[in-house]
Amino acid sequence: MDAVLTLAQLSFPEPTGDAMLAHYLFVSAAMFVIGLVGFVTRKNMIVMFLCTELMFQGAGLALIAFGRHHLGQDGQTFVIFVLCVAAAEAAMALALVVLLFRHRESLSAEAWKDLQG
Amino acid sequence: MNYPPHHGWQVLFWGCCAWPASDYSTGGTNGSREHVLSFGRRTVEQIISPIALYSVCVLGGLGVALALPRRDQRLQILGGIIFAAALGVAALALGLKASEAGGLPNFFFYPFAIVGLGASVRMVTHPRPVYSALYFILTIIASCGMYLLLSAEFMAFALVIIYAGAILITYLFVIMLAMQAPTSTKEELLDETDAVAREPVLAAALAFILLGLLTTAMFRGIGEVHPAGDPRTAQNSVLQYLPAKVDKILRRADMIDEDERVLRLADGTASVDAATGAITIENTDLHTTRLITADEWPENLGASNLDRLGFNLMHDHPMTIEIAGIILLMAMLGATVLARKHTEFEDDLKASHARRLGLDGSVNTNAGGQR
Repeated sequence: MDAVLTLAQLSFPEPTGDAMLAHYLFVSAAMFVIGLVGFVTRKNMIVMFLCTELMFQGAGLALIAFGRHHLGQDGQTFVIFVLCVAAAEAAMALALVVLLFRHRESLSAEAWKDLQG
Repeated sequence: MNYPPHHGWQVLFWGCCAWPASDYSTGGTNGSREHVLSFGRRTVEQIISPIALYSVCVLGGLGVALALPRRDQRLQILGGIIFAAALGVAALALGLKASEAGGLPNFFFYPFAIVGLGASVRMVTHPRPVYSALYFILTIIASCGMYLLLSAEFMAFALVIIYAGAILITYLFVIMLAMQAPTSTKEELLDETDAVAREPVLAAALAFILLGLLTTAMFRGIGEVHPAGDPRTAQNSVLQYLPAKVDKILRRADMIDEDERVLRLADGTASVDAATGAITIENTDLHTTRLITADEWPENLGASNLDRLGFNLMHDHPMTIEIAGIILLMAMLGATVLARKHTEFEDDLKASHARRLGLDGSVNTNAGGQR
């Protein structure tokens, strides 16, 4: 029961094992890959950009897990910058989506097929 | 055994290069490469057996491919069940291996990971964008839980505030702004755009091959990642820059008197020895000093997550903050320019506006007539 009740941060200065890092890396890689599948398969532009946010999440989890493994703060600092980039990307992408929607009255990426080279 | 120090990327690189050819290491003259190879193989077997790993990838890929939006809902449900099975196999394989190696993560990791991955699959496969966004919020909250387990408290709450509070709300606004013709609740009546995925099998197969490669390479490199430095030293070097905080905590713990304070060095930092943790206390009246050793430290003296993160951010990465500021500014400008509505006015409307504002020639001629 102790193991259940003890949140990891209570034992913060203790270094963690490799297996624990592997758990978090697996989840982060899986999140990234699921986002990738969504980005490639979905046709709705808003959902496509949501999937890029999911990929950001996967990357952020890996950064934080490595930071915890090294007992350093650089991982968390870089997640702050990932958040910045995600916010900037969301603003730009959504403005772009609104603009494209006004032109074709459709959110489908296939409405812009004629852009292919 | 004594391994030469490696950078993580070197390990990943050599792990990937050396993986398919097992006789690669015998031909190489580079000793460190052989180390990586032998050590990497041991680690990947310690953490998860390759059969379990690849069956998780195959099952997961199959599940996601079936669960992607399609006309036949029964297949979607089947895909969801297969994906859940893949998650279960992954949790079991990782957990069993890790409990043998003795490095099990906190118990709460498993529910958070399962909720996070399940919600992200549902987000990718849900035919309605609004529900996708809501499932993404669930993913965010689950990864916040994992951040908490990784003792990144500040980032966990920042993630809730920024992602779930700001970015996702923007997404919801845009989804509602760009809403297509209203459909009834029946999934069959959904727009073709959302109801059918493009190339689900190919995409899922390629992506989950990528997952298998990524996890193999990562697990191979994990044993060679730098061991953690001494956390006490890192914490003490942050405390040096927080003399007022050290003062306050020592005073609350009744370890220093009214006329005493932590000795400030010439550059204003507190005299906390980074290696030993000894704090020099000076008596401001008598100008005498005494030491408080690390054994005598009060329980709550230490740099919190927020202290250390803020210090790292402002002290070690000041230029990156500037760059982030410029990125955000440019995004704001760009979004404003892009989303601006170009409205066309009729010529007589323009003329009437101009007349009201006194900008056209008629005002001038009137003025001339009065003169």
